[in-house]
Amino acid sequence: MGLNPEKLRKDFPILDTKVKGRPIIYMDSACQTLRPIQVINKINEYYNEYPVCGDRSQHKLGKRVDEEIAKARKIFRKFFNAKHSEEFIFTKNTTESINIIANALKFKPGDAVLCSDKEHNSNLLQWQIKKDIKHNIFEFGNIEDFKSKLTKNTRLVSVVHTSNMDGTSNPIKEMIKIAHDNESLVLIDGAQSAPHREINLKKLDADFFACSGHKMLGPSGTGLLFGKKEQLENLNPFLVGGGTVEESTYTTHHWEPLPNRIEPGLQNYAGIIGLGEAVHYLDKIRLKNIQKHEANLNKKATDALGDVVDLISKDQERAGIFSFNIKNLTPHNIAIMLDNSANIMIRSGAHCVHSWFNKHNMTGSARASFYFYNTEEEIDIFIEEIKKLRKHLT
Amino acid sequence: MICIIAFVVFAVMAIFSANYRPLAAEAFDCVFRKMTFRKCKTRLDERIKSKITGKLMGHTPKGAAFVFKRFEILSWIFVIVTIVSLAYSGYSTYNYIQYGNCYGPEVTGGFCIYNALEGEKFTELQKKIEGETILPDADDDPAIGLEDAKVTMIEFGCYSCPHTREAQQIVREVVSQYKDRIKFVFRDFPIEQIYGDAFLHAEAANCALEQDMFWEMHELIFTEQEVCGEEVHPEDHIEDAAKRIGLNMKEFKKCMKEHRYKEEIEKDFNDGLKAGVSGTPTFFINGRRIIGPKPIKAFQKIIDEELEKAGEI
Repeated sequence: MGLNPEKLRKDFPILDTKVKGRPIIYMDSACQTLRPIQVINKINEYYNEYPVCGDRSQHKLGKRVDEEIAKARKIFRKFFNAKHSEEFIFTKNTTESINIIANALKFKPGDAVLCSDKEHNSNLLQWQIKKDIKHNIFEFGNIEDFKSKLTKNTRLVSVVHTSNMDGTSNPIKEMIKIAHDNESLVLIDGAQSAPHREINLKKLDADFFACSGHKMLGPSGTGLLFGKKEQLENLNPFLVGGGTVEESTYTTHHWEPLPNRIEPGLQNYAGIIGLGEAVHYLDKIRLKNIQKHEANLNKKATDALGDVVDLISKDQERAGIFSFNIKNLTPHNIAIMLDNSANIMIRSGAHCVHSWFNKHNMTGSARASFYFYNTEEEIDIFIEEIKKLRKHLT
Repeated sequence: MICIIAFVVFAVMAIFSANYRPLAAEAFDCVFRKMTFRKCKTRLDERIKSKITGKLMGHTPKGAAFVFKRFEILSWIFVIVTIVSLAYSGYSTYNYIQYGNCYGPEVTGGFCIYNALEGEKFTELQKKIEGETILPDADDDPAIGLEDAKVTMIEFGCYSCPHTREAQQIVREVVSQYKDRIKFVFRDFPIEQIYGDAFLHAEAANCALEQDMFWEMHELIFTEQEVCGEEVHPEDHIEDAAKRIGLNMKEFKKCMKEHRYKEEIEKDFNDGLKAGVSGTPTFFINGRRIIGPKPIKAFQKIIDEELEKAGEI
């Protein structure tokens, strides 16, 4: 059974908002999704009913936090089909997750990291600044180029699954297999794939997987780092402190088991619990339905505007991302005008993928990103407004 | 160019709200860069252009296209208009401080100007206006309303001034509304610099006062102000008016010939100058000044406040 966006929209209080008598049309979900009332209520529940420390306090409220956190971790394990709940580390976002791996994974001089040419700055800068390792780049989606750049020294393939810039995806399963055959580890930047397609970590067999809560209905400042148990246990201590050790003396310490040893300090309990609720919500809708709905919306926009705008990618499968330019208008022109003419909220700029735009001598793009709460009527308005810009301003 | 206007607007708004200070700083940076032939780094100009175009696009796509394609030219026009407007505002402020009105000594408009520096019939009075402002009193001038009212409204008017005439309808309404609670007094301020017959009219009204017909003459002169001088010689018009309101013409003519009220009118004028009157009409309501024929609400507001202060409301 498909999803019913009209029914689901009722869960999003923000969608009742009107600006100057017109409803808002939110098409910036690749940056942050909106949050359903269930997630907002869950966050409120923490602050109203058990706003205390987790994993430390023995009192009733503390135990309630522990229960809710454990529940959230189980939800993540089920949603991503991982082997163990403790393979999920709570982070601030995908950026922090990748940074943890970049700093905690054991590299030796001469090791190489292989990335695509369409990486977000979150999966680029770490490798640029890291000393003693080589940073290699292959062409996004090009499996032959990927193979050719993979060497015996490639310790890690750190690669984006779905590009936030244009919605295209790497053939990730095939790449993981090839990388493993080369005895390389694989870290997947799943920020744009986790909210939009089913991720089966057992089947994918990725060593690490990073994603952000705020792109999948969860609270801001929440993220996940999945790692195979043996890989997480093998990481160097990086961020350490309260909660990461069972005990310590002035000269020694004894690490906590996973996942605590990689989650230092007091955690964002409200955020984690809220993210658990968000993932539960997505699980109920089913990712297959979301993927299908987004594809329909994107096809409708592409069919109507394919000849009107310059699409960044003409790939048929671009999740919910419609990234484009209009001749003689800057991306910021387009975004600001749509916001002011019809309350259509899209993103503009380089989307933190400056490197790719620089390589192609472009300044950026305007990016509309659809999600399950977007309707066909909204796409019609978007099409109409883009056509108006094209007709009158170019 | 739009950054210059943005800077002026945001700088003014920043005085009242800290929220606008970063925008003012951004606009200043943009202006500075433009002046040094560099590109505006923050793209404030582009953002403003897009925002205006976007808003117009929702209403009139053709208007949006017009603005978008000619934005730089339009910006220049707005910059020039802004600079001219600021210059005029400064000039008007200066005039207001110097002359009590925004128009200056030479220009009329809503107010008949008396240029104290130019000198005229009352040259000996010029020395007296230097010094402290002395608020006017009712003196023994013609009055309507409650004799011992706690609120007194004094008008300094010129019978030949079109703006004094314009104000008469408002004065009638005010007097009609408040006659049981205030006292209205008319005092002469004939501006002979502009209107050669102004003093003559003031004398005629005062001579009519002798025969208890002041207000009748007062009303008639204002009503027929446009006729007087244009179609009929002022002196003939005054005599004809006196006849029509039924004055004893022998007495009236004698009064006019003797210039019996010259000193009285000069005293009014002198009192006006001492009170800072620089043209007509100028009103004082318990000392609070209204310049020019303002809407009745302006009068009502001050009168009500003064009545309230006096415990009359």
